[in-house]
Amino acid sequence: MTPAFKKERENLEAAATKLLSLALQAGAESAEVCGSFRQKTKITLEKQDYHMASADDGYSLGVRVLSGQRQGFASCNTTDLKELKEVALRAVEIAGFSPQNPNYRIMASGNIPKEAPSALWDDSLYQLSLQTQKDWTRLMKDEATKDPRFRLNEGGVEIASDLFLITNSHGTHKLEKETVASWTLMGMAVEGDVITSFDYFQEISRRASGVPERIVATTKRFRETLAQNLKQGPPRSYKGLVVFTPRAVIDILLSPLSYHLNGRNVVEKTSKWNLETLGNPVLARELTIRDLPWLTDRTGCAIFDREGTPTSNQVMIEDGMLRGFLMDQYAAVAMGQKSTGHAYGGPSMPPSVSPHCLCVNGGEEPIAHLIARATTQQKEFLVINRYSGQVDPVSGDFSGVAKGGEWWTGGERAYCVKETLISGNIFDAFGESLFGISKETEIVESAEECPTIGVNNVSVTGG
Amino acid sequence: MSELAEQLEKLAHSSPHWTELRYHRRNSQSLQVQKGLVKQAKSSITTGVGIRVLAEGAWGFSSTSDLSQSSLEKALKQAVECAKSISQMKKAAVAQLPAVKLAKGEFKLEGYEALQKMSLEQKLQSVLQAEEATRRHSPNIQSATCGYNEMFEDKIVVTSDGANATSRLARNEFRLSAFASHAGEMVQGHHTVGRTGSWECLFNQYSLAEMSEEAAKLAIDLLKAPRIPGGLATLILSPAMVGILSHEAIGHTVEADFVLSGSVAAGKIGQRIASPLVTLQDGGMVRETPYGGGDLLVDDEGVLAGTTTIIKDGILNSYLHNRESAALYQVEPTGNARAWLYHDEPLIRMRNTYIVPGALPLQEIIASTQDGYLVDCPLGGQADATGEFMFGAQKVMQIKDGKIVKLFRGATISGQAFEVLSTVDAVSKEFKLDLGSGYCGKGQPAKVDAGGPYVRCKAVIGGIQA
Repeated sequence: MTPAFKKERENLEAAATKLLSLALQAGAESAEVCGSFRQKTKITLEKQDYHMASADDGYSLGVRVLSGQRQGFASCNTTDLKELKEVALRAVEIAGFSPQNPNYRIMASGNIPKEAPSALWDDSLYQLSLQTQKDWTRLMKDEATKDPRFRLNEGGVEIASDLFLITNSHGTHKLEKETVASWTLMGMAVEGDVITSFDYFQEISRRASGVPERIVATTKRFRETLAQNLKQGPPRSYKGLVVFTPRAVIDILLSPLSYHLNGRNVVEKTSKWNLETLGNPVLARELTIRDLPWLTDRTGCAIFDREGTPTSNQVMIEDGMLRGFLMDQYAAVAMGQKSTGHAYGGPSMPPSVSPHCLCVNGGEEPIAHLIARATTQQKEFLVINRYSGQVDPVSGDFSGVAKGGEWWTGGERAYCVKETLISGNIFDAFGESLFGISKETEIVESAEECPTIGVNNVSVTGG
Repeated sequence: MSELAEQLEKLAHSSPHWTELRYHRRNSQSLQVQKGLVKQAKSSITTGVGIRVLAEGAWGFSSTSDLSQSSLEKALKQAVECAKSISQMKKAAVAQLPAVKLAKGEFKLEGYEALQKMSLEQKLQSVLQAEEATRRHSPNIQSATCGYNEMFEDKIVVTSDGANATSRLARNEFRLSAFASHAGEMVQGHHTVGRTGSWECLFNQYSLAEMSEEAAKLAIDLLKAPRIPGGLATLILSPAMVGILSHEAIGHTVEADFVLSGSVAAGKIGQRIASPLVTLQDGGMVRETPYGGGDLLVDDEGVLAGTTTIIKDGILNSYLHNRESAALYQVEPTGNARAWLYHDEPLIRMRNTYIVPGALPLQEIIASTQDGYLVDCPLGGQADATGEFMFGAQKVMQIKDGKIVKLFRGATISGQAFEVLSTVDAVSKEFKLDLGSGYCGKGQPAKVDAGGPYVRCKAVIGGIQA
């Protein structure tokens, strides 16, 4: 670690230790401090040109306290002693008037397993010069503006170095450091009177190596996809088969699925499922979904969670059967289980529950075969690239717009459709109505990984 | 505060470049209760200064949470270096900002002190009671949640060309959700409200008891409701739905930065884009109703936040501007530059966006509708630069021969904004700002409100195909 970051680490450690002791002095029976330090530089693009350069750094500290099974939480964005004292007092004060809840615990957490990855930090990325960052941004701008039909609304390249610390009064003390290069782009294509839908993407890398090539490749792909969407035609209303690309599967399936897998929702009975559902079929038997927190090229990569519990790879749904829930210490205590390392959040909020990186296994048939089989069943159908709309996490009902939707006829892409609504229910769509799953999978925006999935019985409404 | 304002002013004037220093302290509290248990009770303080400079034709930005003179000077130097670092790369230099009328003095909205005086413990008791009342409404209510958020905002905006504005306001939100289940099916009903002002302001349209009753009743009613058939339909949009339409489908397309990127509103000033019955505004304050969730007296560039008439009698009249875009279009800035926190740069954002009320009573509009739907309880939405929009609605009531006959389960409404607004043939005299606890997302959040009268129009409603 370079001397500069060493100093920030020492500051963070000292402030976190101080806040912990202040909370205990203020009357907390046990306490947990989450702290972070981030320094970042960002160069942004807007309206086909460079827009702004910025540089920031800052600390964030939050303390969770327990007193008589009552919980309080407070946070601030400074290491200033006066502010830390106020934060400690506030947390204890909040605990003082909150009702008792026997499920809240602050506990010692286990050791990080040896097989967990350790390469979240890259000195080359941390020491990256502003000139190199400018060069990377130029690559993005030049690639994006190669086609005058592409309108760059905003985008940019950010380099960040982070420290993340969890310490508690039961001996847990874990610190993670990471470097992240991220690049984003938002825009549309315009040709005459034809304007495509807005679209965006974000990618990350934790290493400097390979970033320029990826910036060019992802920008090129984005620009070309939008240009392709300029060929537009009318949608048709029908009820039947639609095909979700990996990005659309994430939009429509994984978010509500996270809700029902959330252990806290199981405890509160707002999930469809409970401990008795484990081992029973909940989705189509072709679906296997895992949560993989150790993939270092993904945004959700984490070695330990918001409570310091070590993470691990887990199967959530196997061959359509429910295999496990996402649990933090609260859910685990309430359900008489162990935390699965899914406490989520940063220093400015108490822990909640979230998956790290849900990945849907690919099926057995190639996409080409899936499309050919779909065409045999239904000559024309909608392929959905992005879903923008509602999915009621409770009922599973969805109703929204097929963004960048493609109308396929006779096994070929005919044109892009606009103002096309789809609706149905995800438990039906990805249960009894599942048509097929592609062998190929795609990592979407450096996060989840999914195959292409065909689904029957979806209502499509054209404008 | 005045000492800090002086310190910032001195620093701004010491800079050879156009410089803006924005101090922002946010003190926020959040409560969330489920089944009588506190799921979250938290307090957060975020303080710092964001510094933006325009040097050599480029923008530079830096921020610091350390308010010492040396740290502020260091951040200013860093912002200047940032600007200079990209100035040679820019295709078009940013021109110096022309002189405009800038805010000076103190700008306070009522309710801050009153809300601060009420203890968090008292607020928690109300949240616990509301959740319990919702949960006990019916044996079919499986669970209920209730949440409360408040933000106390203190700001000082100083610019090297004359702004020196100290502002203070408090925003709060109340959210209730009921989960009803029967025969393995589960649905959710909710009611939310967001205001700028005191605790009492939260309940100036619906009492706490009414909110609780409505959330629970909606969940129970939706359990039995069928799904709606899809297609083009006549819709009467509630004020909340009109608010979403105004914000998502029109408001975003007229934000000048989107216009410059080629939004559908580009080049349409002076053209008819809606029915003559439609006048649409965005305001820091709303004449028709106080305590809007997006109320604002001065923006984050130190420009007074007035009211902008975006559409006047169906004709596109104005875009929404910050100082840079206003200079490009050679118009006055509209006070729409807003930043979420001190470390965010100000962007063009809406405040309270609404269609101006008409003259017809709602009952008359319903009575004159032969076949259509009354659409209410928005579930959020999105719009494109094309004006294509989508927003969800939880409550859709069928109208036949001038009467409400049936409740359907939630659906999605979609269309092209200008085309839909061109079909407006009735505008009610009843008016509400009713976006609830919604936030607008554009890289950074912004607290906004929106609303209007009941409006009858034609749009596509997404549902089940036979």
